[in-house]
Amino acid sequence: MVKDDAYYASRRQFLQTLAATGAIAAADLAWWEDPFLGPRRARAAASTVRFQFSVPEPLRISLVESLVERFNKAQSDVEVKVEFVPQAQARQKLITAVSAGSPPDCCQIWDNWVGEFDGMNALEDLTARIKEWKHYKDTVPVAWQTVTVKGKLLSFPWVVTNDAIFIRTDRAKEYGLKIPGPDWTWDDFLTLAKGYTKPDKNQYGFGMRGAGTWAVLYATEFLYSNGAQVLKDGKVVINSPESVQAFEWYIDLIRKHKITPPSVATDGYRQIVEGFGRGVTSMYLHNSGSVEEQKKFVGEPNFATLPLPLGPAKKRASFYFSETLTMFKAAKNKEGAWKFMTWLMDDEPNYDYAKTLGLLPTRQALADRPHYKHPGYQGFVRSFPFSIVSPYLAYAGWGGKLDSEGVPLVQQAMLGKISPKECLDKLAEVLTKNMA
Amino acid sequence: MKTRGLGDPLERFLGGPVLWGGLVLATLFAMGPFVWVFLASIKTRTELYAMPIQYLPTHPTFQNYVEAWTSRLTPFSRFFANSLWVSSVTMVATIVISTLAGYALARFRFVGKNTLMLVFLATQMFPAVLLIAPLLSQWHALGLIDTYQALIYSNFSFTVPFTVWMLVGYFESIPRELEESAMIDGSGRFGALLRIIVPLAAPGIAATAIFAFVSSWSELLFATTFTTRTDMRTLSAGLLYMVGQYEIQWGQLGAGVMISTIPVAILFIFLQKHLIRGLTAGALKG
Amino acid sequence: MGNQNATSAVPAPRALLSHATRETLSNYVYLLPAAICLGGTVLFPILKAIHMSLYYNVLIKPQEYRFIGLGNYVRMVQDPTFWLTLRNSFTWVFWSVSLQFFFGFLVALILNGQFKGRAIFRTINLLPWIIPGVVVALIWEYIYQPNYGPLNDLLRRAGLMREPVAWLSNLNLVMPAVVFTNIWRGIPFFTIMILAGLQAIPEEIYEAATVDGAGVIQRFWSVTLPMLRPIIVVSTATRIIWTFNYADLIFVMTGGGPANATQITSTYTLMQAYSDLDWGYAASLSVILLVIMLTFTALYLKLTKGVESVAG
Repeated sequence: MVKDDAYYASRRQFLQTLAATGAIAAADLAWWEDPFLGPRRARAAASTVRFQFSVPEPLRISLVESLVERFNKAQSDVEVKVEFVPQAQARQKLITAVSAGSPPDCCQIWDNWVGEFDGMNALEDLTARIKEWKHYKDTVPVAWQTVTVKGKLLSFPWVVTNDAIFIRTDRAKEYGLKIPGPDWTWDDFLTLAKGYTKPDKNQYGFGMRGAGTWAVLYATEFLYSNGAQVLKDGKVVINSPESVQAFEWYIDLIRKHKITPPSVATDGYRQIVEGFGRGVTSMYLHNSGSVEEQKKFVGEPNFATLPLPLGPAKKRASFYFSETLTMFKAAKNKEGAWKFMTWLMDDEPNYDYAKTLGLLPTRQALADRPHYKHPGYQGFVRSFPFSIVSPYLAYAGWGGKLDSEGVPLVQQAMLGKISPKECLDKLAEVLTKNMA
Repeated sequence: MKTRGLGDPLERFLGGPVLWGGLVLATLFAMGPFVWVFLASIKTRTELYAMPIQYLPTHPTFQNYVEAWTSRLTPFSRFFANSLWVSSVTMVATIVISTLAGYALARFRFVGKNTLMLVFLATQMFPAVLLIAPLLSQWHALGLIDTYQALIYSNFSFTVPFTVWMLVGYFESIPRELEESAMIDGSGRFGALLRIIVPLAAPGIAATAIFAFVSSWSELLFATTFTTRTDMRTLSAGLLYMVGQYEIQWGQLGAGVMISTIPVAILFIFLQKHLIRGLTAGALKG
Repeated sequence: MGNQNATSAVPAPRALLSHATRETLSNYVYLLPAAICLGGTVLFPILKAIHMSLYYNVLIKPQEYRFIGLGNYVRMVQDPTFWLTLRNSFTWVFWSVSLQFFFGFLVALILNGQFKGRAIFRTINLLPWIIPGVVVALIWEYIYQPNYGPLNDLLRRAGLMREPVAWLSNLNLVMPAVVFTNIWRGIPFFTIMILAGLQAIPEEIYEAATVDGAGVIQRFWSVTLPMLRPIIVVSTATRIIWTFNYADLIFVMTGGGPANATQITSTYTLMQAYSDLDWGYAASLSVILLVIMLTFTALYLKLTKGVESVAG
């Protein structure tokens, strides 16, 4: 009898606990919604625009926040909410959001993602709107090329940049090295790099990129100096003889001349920028985005930029790429997003953004302003005549493959596991397979 | 540890020099990177980037802490509160849920109990990166984006299975006679669970509580995917605001890391008291 | 199904019609909250992924989306990188978990002793566990940095190194380096779990063993280890599973490189999903991982007799 009572008692108690658990769970729906600190809810009056910004570092956060604040104050129809997503997670989050059907209204992404998102059928075609836009004509045509996919204009090129070589001028003086002129050659480059290399002092000539997509892109720029091309008449020719010859020279910089730091095969953006900033390397190839950074690191008068050196074929190329403002097809507030995007493209907001980040505005009038006369920008400005849109933007399927297959191949070549020729042959194979 | 037969010289050796040596080594190893991070957090920018490396700052500053904590743009105080709330609720709920389930699996006989247990574990075998898209659409449909619930519920997906298993193992090691006598004494089964088993299993429950708290504290994927507003970010997601494209703000990142260790340390100092020999021994005699 | 509950030894005085049934049901009620949690967060997405793995589903080619049956699996068998990642995964998991376990156990034994400041030492030893994996990766990447990281600098100042060693760019060193980081981060987990397990061993058993003349080593082998078995089995099994699926650390430190030297199946899956945008293939990789781990876990639990207590 005791047992039976106990049994019922326990069951009652147990059900009570279950009910309590359920109550907690139910309560949370109402109550956790507005927790102890009470986040500010969206003010209902204005229609909101969700804007994802993908490089939340303190400098950029304050820049973007101040721009958005200016916009929100300047008018009362639209209120922009910025969503800062850490860069490493940004792409993943956008893809996830697109496939879950809840992307933001507009976002800042790089041009090499535009084709992919267009392939996913996720982007709003802005061609008609942009052709009507007041600054359409004075924006440099090549900037539009970076955001044109299959004849559609999909984004605003917010800012553009191309690649040039950063070079330590103070150290050249210290070691009695001559800084070459803008039309320098591969031999000048190698001589200079050797002069800079002092392994016992932890100093190396050239900070080469070995990790991430740009490991392939920077290498390709050197290949172009020897007359190589990625695509010719609709065929992949990245393994042509002149290309192989150039790549052998490039890999020799690591393996034979040893003018690169030992970490080269896993060095990404941060490592090449910081390596130069700390004085480990005395040259590196990068876009203008790190000019302002280097002014803080090595000091304004201590560095300059030069265009890429001319190869044996007396040719060279620098690849443009742009940071874009892009709208999603599934945007809830397209008019609001358009209004915000065009406001950001206006003279002053656009110039502020570009200047603060060391990137170049896409309108000639803004790029002519005195700020860009600093020697740190000269290499980029001088590279305009031979700058082209990255050949790897030709097919949307290439972007991902460069990461997943191209980079490991280049790393294998850098580490001497395969020959440069083998590397390019395999890369050509990968590219050919994914021409769609 | 084994302070019993002190006559054994090997035991005295193990309990003395070896214990202290091991303790010092293990602690240095665990602390090393933190020392580095802490030093980075109190250096000025010039000291941080000095070559050759400058280990000790000449002008130690706590500016990074103040900045990180009070910044309007990257409000670590807010991240901190979010993390504290999400992790505490996850911890408490996980403990309740898995104590019930663990007890049932340890004590009752079910049809297909082993399969059930394996299914629990199987939920851990799938990479989270693939779970994330379906989960996002689910939370979106339920209107739970930018809420604590979405984070807490999602955290269950990795806390519950392990804590259930862990507690099953723990409950199994507690003699059945104890609760049976309690049940005969008039407590119901649930009463016996509360009054006998839970106190006996205190070390196990404390360990799983620490597990649930710590793993939700450092969770990142859900925290970035299911929130969009800066003021809903947790600490782990907020830390990444200091990782720029070309430069890591080691000063503030370091400050954030140090700040983020504090609550866990406090919780642990409190919970570790339960990581001592439970009542099993005494209860057996009684 | 007669006597469902082995512990309710006392027969019910009045045979209620559905006593046994009700009891069974009430037993399941204990499991309900856990089942709801997992059903809502994991099971549905897993089923969806299994479904997805049977389709050609490359996000940038929506027009080619179609059912291809086992096509993704066939491709996997022919994909040399997949086999490479599987080998790397085994190396990564084996060394990570076994060394985490070994050192975690040692630290637990040490921290189980009685000494002054134990709470402080226990807390310090927990610290590596509480920062997010991505941040751990960044910190260690900095430590390993050959030209401005503290590791090489300290070794050089100590006179132990001449040429800088590129820990993360050397094909032979990179895997040990990431495993080492993972060990650093994983030790506290085992320490805590085993520390908890040690508390469940009744003092009497040790005393009885001591009376029987067992030394400290024998007591460890004959009492501590067998009594800890359920905890060890559970914590190692789950740790193995997590480590298999753990991509953050490697992804941030090396991106699977150089030259795929640290590409494990989970980072490869991540890359397939978010670089190549091939979700069909990524899903099939995950399903295969699931099958591998399920087989492994079933075997492991069978061999180690699972979590059934020693006493039975």
